[in-house]
Amino acid sequence: MRWFFLVFAFLVITMIIGLRGRGEKFSKPPFELFPDMDRQYKVKFQKPSHFFENGMGSRKPVEGTIPMGFHPPLTKEGGVPTSDLDFSYGDDYYNTGLFGDLYGKGFPKDLEVNEELLKRGEQRYQINCVPCHGESGNGKGIVSKYWGFPPVQGDKSDEEFRKEWDAFNGIPPSANLLDPRVMAFPEGQIFWTITHGKGLMGSYRGTVNVKDRWAIVAYVKALQAASK
Amino acid sequence: MGNTFPKWTNWIAIKVLICLGALGTAVIALAWYSWTPKYTRVGYMPQQPIPFDHSLHAGQLGMDCRYCHSFVESSSHSNLPNAELCWNCHGPGKVKSDSPRLELLRQAMDPNYENYTGEPIQWVQIHETPDYAYFNHSAHVNRGVSCVECHGRVDQMPVVYHAKPLSMSFCLDCHRNPDKSLRPLDEITNLDWEAEDEDRDEFYSQLALVKGVDKDALVSADEEEGLEWGKELIGKHIREGWAVNPPQDCAACHR
Ligand code: HEC
Ligand code: HEC
Ligand code: HEC
Ligand code: HEC
Ligand code: HEC
Ligand code: HEC
Repeated sequence: MRWFFLVFAFLVITMIIGLRGRGEKFSKPPFELFPDMDRQYKVKFQKPSHFFENGMGSRKPVEGTIPMGFHPPLTKEGGVPTSDLDFSYGDDYYNTGLFGDLYGKGFPKDLEVNEELLKRGEQRYQINCVPCHGESGNGKGIVSKYWGFPPVQGDKSDEEFRKEWDAFNGIPPSANLLDPRVMAFPEGQIFWTITHGKGLMGSYRGTVNVKDRWAIVAYVKALQAASK
Repeated sequence: MGNTFPKWTNWIAIKVLICLGALGTAVIALAWYSWTPKYTRVGYMPQQPIPFDHSLHAGQLGMDCRYCHSFVESSSHSNLPNAELCWNCHGPGKVKSDSPRLELLRQAMDPNYENYTGEPIQWVQIHETPDYAYFNHSAHVNRGVSCVECHGRVDQMPVVYHAKPLSMSFCLDCHRNPDKSLRPLDEITNLDWEAEDEDRDEFYSQLALVKGVDKDALVSADEEEGLEWGKELIGKHIREGWAVNPPQDCAACHR
């Protein structure tokens, strides 16, 4: 009996030492008792898959096909002019912002520009554009404080360095959307900029769908009109 | 006739019972403490390939979760951003583009870089429901359940860890009584939203519109019942006004 309790106490103490506290940080994957039901063999979002040659579970649509739930692009043969989900399939104005090789002016005719669209645009602008372009579109979003490098003197002459500083003046290369040059952009060009990026700005076609891009364009136009 | 059994055997049954009892208690205590997602999962903090910091990007820089987790509202799955999105800020000539911590990002994105591979960044998944349970982000996020209810204060985490158990009882606790965890839809990604921040007047006007009743009647009804302005009351109104009704039958989550 004494021996039993000695061994027992020893076991309990090692167990208590061995256990972590609830909520304590650890980095090994959590224990799963029957992992075969928990982790079934199927393709999952953004997960690897041995089935495919490049090891990625995420597939690109085969050329000429459309993923389930999406609409066929508008072509001469037909299709759907506007929808909420799509990511630039067609080559019409709604999907490209271009008429031929020129930026189009005005909104696509199938798109209703109403208060709802503007509200959506405001929300999407807040999410996707504010970090760089700022609430009001003046290009002084928070990232501008970190963006670009202030000039360093190095072996430049004082005069040169002074000039560089004056040119830098803390304003980042994030474009000021209220600049007269940008104010003059037709709607199609802003749409095109979101879709393809421009210069230092990257493209947002992967995260902002076509309809939201037009909503943002409408909101940017409203911001510009308000600043006049 | 001598004793066939020595005297000590009189106690053996009791001694064995005591020992078994002690062992049993220990095993039950161990199981109670550690065989639960509260123990096995909460605190899981794997090392990520790039030391990405939410408290900097989402907290200090104030970026909205949906800038990166862009389809959380429209899909069952909340996506991780692709490398291109990081590249928009961390590309050449932009923010910290030469930082050694972003080595993998350059390998993934910069074709002029000597070690360019084009391989996607392999983030380690932290929250993962078992495949026999169905979970849908858009169903929650579009009905007023904020990220903070299930992921904790991610905007204060330098490294993301598993903050809530996400066990079946955790899901059901809320499904049975969602009032205290519902909030207006435009505050979903604002993780430190408080009921006091909410414009009371504006809220009642919205609610009156949705319910098609008089606003003053709503306010006075609440005052008569002695309900205080706070999370629970807002949640109650959202649940009633927008007919939020979380499912509790097994087939909702085990389909
Ligand atoms: C990562 C920071 C960043 C984000 C986010 C961002 N931009 Fe930009 N944007 C820039 C920079 C930098 C420029 C200047 C590009 C240049 O001239 O090289 C720019 C330029 C522009 C221009 C002017 C293009 C031109 O031809 O001069 C427009 C229009 C614009 N952005 C719209 C948007 C909209 C709309 C969004 C939201 C979907 C957005 N941007 C998000 C950084 C950003
Ligand atoms: C809107 C712009 C923006 C985006 C998008 C962005 N970051 Fe950052 N990131 C920053 C800023 C600003 C800093 C802070 C730089 C500083 O402290 O000077 C930073 C810092 C970092 C650092 C620390 C670098 C160092 O050496 O201190 C890492 C690592 C990092 N980001 C990773 C990422 C990853 C991974 C992504 C993509 C998921 C990403 N970032 C997306 C703006 C951004
Ligand atoms: C700049 C882009 C960016 C922003 C903004 C951002 N995240 Fe993330 N998030 C990431 C990346 C990249 C990862 C994967 C790496 C990691 O886990 O740290 C991630 C991981 C996560 C995870 C863990 C995922 C898993 O594997 O289980 C959660 C939860 C999460 N984010 C929630 C949020 C919330 C909530 C917000 C808003 C407050 C937010 N994120 C804002 C980029 C971002
Ligand atoms: C009702 C609870 C709940 C809410 C609210 C919620 N999540 Fe999740 N989240 C989960 C669960 C459960 C998982 C694991 C899902 C899985 O296994 O695919 C998860 C997974 C994730 C992941 C990791 C996905 C992956 O594959 O790596 C990210 C990122 C994430 N959530 C971000 C968010 C953001 C951002 C929000 C707020 C807009 C949010 N979540 C709101 C419960 C929730
Ligand atoms: C903080 C509260 C909360 C938590 C935690 C929560 N849910 Fe929910 N859940 C809701 C609400 C609210 C709804 C929406 C009900 C409605 O649409 O009327 C919902 C709806 C659902 C639905 C129905 C979706 C559909 O497509 O109709 C499923 C399935 C579900 N939840 C699963 C889960 C699972 C699994 C978990 C645990 C990982 C979980 N929930 C955790 C509040 C919560
Ligand atoms: C709100 C969603 C939801 C509902 C409703 C629900 N479950 Fe679950 N269930 C889950 C989740 C999530 C898990 C995974 C829990 C975990 O990973 O710890 C789970 C796990 C389980 C497990 C495995 C437990 C384990 O630890 O291995 C069983 C058995 C189960 N559920 C049975 C049921 C039955 C029976 C019902 C109906 C009375 C039911 N569930 C209703 C979400 C739900």
